[in-house]
Amino acid sequence: MGSRVEILNDGGYRSDGRRQFELRDITINLAQQGQADGSAVITHGLTQVLVSVFGPREAKMRSQTIHDRANINVEVNVAAFSTGERRKRSRGDKRILEIGSTIKSTFEPVVQTTLYPRSQIDVYITVLQQDGGLLQACINGTTLALTNAGIPMADFVCAVTGGVHSTSALLDLTTLEENDVPHVTVAMMPKTGKVALVTMETRLHVERFEEIFRLAGEAGKVLHKEMKKAVMGRTSTLVNAMGSRGSGVDRDGDEQMNEL
Amino acid sequence: MSTTSLSKAEKSYIAAGLTQSTPHRADGRNLTDYRSVALEAGVAPLANGSVRLSIGRNINDNGGGTEVLAATKLEVESISIGESSEGREGGRFIVNVSCSPAAYPHLTQNALDDLQHDLTTILHTTLTHPSLHPQNLTILPHKKSWLLHLDLLILSDAGNTLDALFLAARAALWDTKVPRTRSVEYKAPRGSNKANAGANTTVEGGDIDVDSTAPSGFDTRTQISRATDFELPDYWDEGEALDGRDRWPVCVTLNLAPPVHFLDATPQEESAIPLRLLLIFSFTSTSKGEATLQAMRSLGAGELSLVQIKDLIQTGEKYAHSLYTALNAKLKDEDIRRTQKARERFIAARR
Repeated sequence: MGSRVEILNDGGYRSDGRRQFELRDITINLAQQGQADGSAVITHGLTQVLVSVFGPREAKMRSQTIHDRANINVEVNVAAFSTGERRKRSRGDKRILEIGSTIKSTFEPVVQTTLYPRSQIDVYITVLQQDGGLLQACINGTTLALTNAGIPMADFVCAVTGGVHSTSALLDLTTLEENDVPHVTVAMMPKTGKVALVTMETRLHVERFEEIFRLAGEAGKVLHKEMKKAVMGRTSTLVNAMGSRGSGVDRDGDEQMNEL
Repeated sequence: MSTTSLSKAEKSYIAAGLTQSTPHRADGRNLTDYRSVALEAGVAPLANGSVRLSIGRNINDNGGGTEVLAATKLEVESISIGESSEGREGGRFIVNVSCSPAAYPHLTQNALDDLQHDLTTILHTTLTHPSLHPQNLTILPHKKSWLLHLDLLILSDAGNTLDALFLAARAALWDTKVPRTRSVEYKAPRGSNKANAGANTTVEGGDIDVDSTAPSGFDTRTQISRATDFELPDYWDEGEALDGRDRWPVCVTLNLAPPVHFLDATPQEESAIPLRLLLIFSFTSTSKGEATLQAMRSLGAGELSLVQIKDLIQTGEKYAHSLYTALNAKLKDEDIRRTQKARERFIAARR
């Protein structure tokens, strides 16, 4: 064995001990962060992203408002210490702007923006750690934060990266694998089976594309299960917390609602 | 810097509560009470030292409170005198503060940049003062040194950010480990004749030796140190602690509502008072408790007389010292949690 790291060894294991189609550990924290209306911290293995959602609210710049729907404003910040080599990326960095606009265009058809004309939904993404799959983590985190903020959406958006090492497909790539292997990020909507985003920066053979695309779709469904579980867990905690104050309060609230 | 807007009535209500004979604050604290401060070290695996600090976070729902993430990173820099490289003898130290827009949802981009710049200036000028410079940032004298970056990220702001930033900075620097290096030099083989030594330095003649004192065969210039490069030995820990652990300062913000002052203001309180005095102390060691005032800054539109300042510095030192001892205790706790207890858990898991 040389010092070179094998992407996929003879035993069918990847450099971090995963199988070909195995996803990394995923943890979701939907607790309140600061003053945000909805927030989520999601980790895919060693990639960690914090997403905060504000709104729908009045736009900071009036020129940004759209008369018949809400404007989604996505801002991405990368912590300087998130990568192996320290690099301060300014807000105007091309790469960051690209991620931001990709996320924006992914969510524009999913979020029911027509319900909030002349308003703005701010999505602030802070990348705390990076180890591959940055875009997928950002998209999954944004889905969760938007859900947590109670913003109506047509469906979940679940994203995952897939790549090919010679002829074998891999899912959920780390930085090491992303550097070596052609890869594609797919964001899909599990209920309808529609695809919200397909993006790739590397070249991938046409014959391999179909397989990866199908696999990414299946992985999206697995992610959806996890995300749904987290949302259900958070919601039931909140409901229980409300219930513990006594049912009287609840009933009052209901009556008021009816009167209105 | 205050970002909350309060009406005149609200402001005077808060100020009146503070100046009463038995002072009242909205959250029931005394004037000199801090909200609970939580700290966790080692949160960024790719950094040389990192810490997450929060002030006044609600334990039940994890919400609210000021939250700061700080991490240090070391980079190798070459020193070349009079050239474009910025490397300096003894290493450099750069501090940077950035604010998440989520912490200041009502600020525009430009206002956020200004705020970031203000905070960066305060921290950078204080922490990079020569009296605090760590001594172990040299790798090879006159050749290579470490560039120390300290990045602070404000995730949410619920008042008293400056104290939080300085606490986090101190904790992250305390946590920083400088990788061990060994210098490498090339030298002629010991047994061979001189003619051979000059020319053949590659295959059988060349020999990599570590920290050797024998003179090099082909190095004619005396001013160049013999070590030409360095290597990182594989070692069980991440290196030695950054020098000057005890010296890193703590900051106390005295919020002045004459005739009283109070600590750890919430955003509402911050905007209700005219003047805040920032006192930054460094202590030589815990036992002696000798304090040096590293920096002082007054924020806001009010004014202070010299007599008042003298009194405030004296009382501020007491607060800073108790903050310092509390932080040290917590940092030692974290050290034990991450080394000794982690080892015990590891051993227990293997059984």
